Amino acid sequence: MADSVLQAINIGTVVLDSTHQVMLWNHWMVQHSGKATHDVIGRNIFSIFPELKNSRIENAVNQALRNNFPSLLSQTLNKAPFPLFPHGADKVESQRLQQAVAVIPIETDTPPRQCLIQITDVSIAVARERLLREQALVLRSQTFSDGLTGIANRRHFDVNIEKELRRAKRTNSSLSLLMIDIDYFKAYNDHYGHQRGDDCLIQVAANLSTVLHRPADLAARYGGEEFAVILPDNRADTACIVAETLRQKIESLSLEHAQSKNPAKVVTVSIGVATRTPEHHLETTQLIGAADRALYEAKRLGRNQVVFRNDPPASA
Amino acid sequence: MFNLSEIQHDALVEIFNIGVGHAAAAMSGIVNEEVTMSVPSIQFVNRLDAASMLVNNESRRICGISQHYQGAFTTEAILMFPEDKSLEIVRLMVGETVPLKELTDMEQEAMSEIGNIILNSCVGNLANIFEQELQGSLPVYHIGTSEDILTATGDQSDAVVLMLHIDFILEKHQIHGYVAFILDVTALHDLQFQVDKYLSRIMGST
Repeated sequence: MADSVLQAINIGTVVLDSTHQVMLWNHWMVQHSGKATHDVIGRNIFSIFPELKNSRIENAVNQALRNNFPSLLSQTLNKAPFPLFPHGADKVESQRLQQAVAVIPIETDTPPRQCLIQITDVSIAVARERLLREQALVLRSQTFSDGLTGIANRRHFDVNIEKELRRAKRTNSSLSLLMIDIDYFKAYNDHYGHQRGDDCLIQVAANLSTVLHRPADLAARYGGEEFAVILPDNRADTACIVAETLRQKIESLSLEHAQSKNPAKVVTVSIGVATRTPEHHLETTQLIGAADRALYEAKRLGRNQVVFRNDPPASA
Repeated sequence: MFNLSEIQHDALVEIFNIGVGHAAAAMSGIVNEEVTMSVPSIQFVNRLDAASMLVNNESRRICGISQHYQGAFTTEAILMFPEDKSLEIVRLMVGETVPLKELTDMEQEAMSEIGNIILNSCVGNLANIFEQELQGSLPVYHIGTSEDILTATGDQSDAVVLMLHIDFILEKHQIHGYVAFILDVTALHDLQFQVDKYLSRIMGST
């Protein structure tokens, strides 16, 4: 009776003796491993599955046999230790079953003790959580992007600059920040109306992103007609080159701007650049402040230009 | 409150440090990254004091993984971290994922595995040193206030708690947690007896 139950149960069930030989191999195991009971009984589990040698499974088996302690091997930390497949090993199509494994010592009438390996298929739960994470990711990207322009919003910028600055400190690397402002934007809005103003913001935002190539670079809408670009691992000279490329890119769009004091009468941007280097430490607010002052300087000097400025830290 | 002599105390701290060292090695193997663990101190407290050690404000939830051990001495061992720290540990172990507000079922199971490794290593090393065998149960995951967790396994009011402070370091993150061993009077004496036996053995051999 007990044996029929073990055979019928919908959980992988294997019993090993003290020398790692298979004593029991239930139907579930046959079904998912593609190995018949008579092929495995009496064989060492680690010669049946050589990849398990020196693995957490071997550890857990020894823990059970020697120390009498059970072990739990979660799917999250161990992925799929046993080569088990939804329809057995013969069908090459499939991925391994996602497994949760428990290894439990069992006392027998005659010592030494044996151990029970119990394998549960958690593929459905894994798929469900993946879905949950994907949905969370979509939600998060919505709360982190600017509704009008689609690029990162201010909240995303705030989180990202903190993260990148922490990383720059840890890895002793540079971090540059560009603050970008559309020149004479108020006049643009007054002249062309808010809808055209919005279109202008969308165009500028879209083109900022096209200039940035590295995955860690981030262009964000900082507020109103102001944008910010975070450039990790970029020193001042490289950051100024990126800024100048951005400035030219926007100018070359030739978006008409009748109210611009610029002779070409097109939309242009002013850019302030600041850099945190291993030799020149700046905290987040100091870095943003420095880039802001550089932007102000660029405006004061006639707009449509890039200005670099690195204020000394407040303590110096 | 119950107290050990200085030499008994030092012996236990050393034994537990070796135990968590094994646990750290096992976890390094899982994440392919250096994990270090240490037990800076241990102390005996009553349940109430144990519960208050874990919380600065009362609303903070605690994540606990418990296992029952019996043999040379009987104890309920519970690994405890504040809930946010348990989130941090699992996510550091698993790698960066989309952080959800609470541990998902799969993450809870991962946390149970981490608890299983740490508790088995601590108790296993104790058993080895005492040359005794203990039996262990599978881990059980709990979430709640520290009081809930410390009483989830029975309510012997006279129980003493042996609290281990645990420092867990992974990828430059340092996380503090606790392992509580709940001991009734008998278990306490059994433990003390085993420590003395061990000490006289190593003293005798020198």
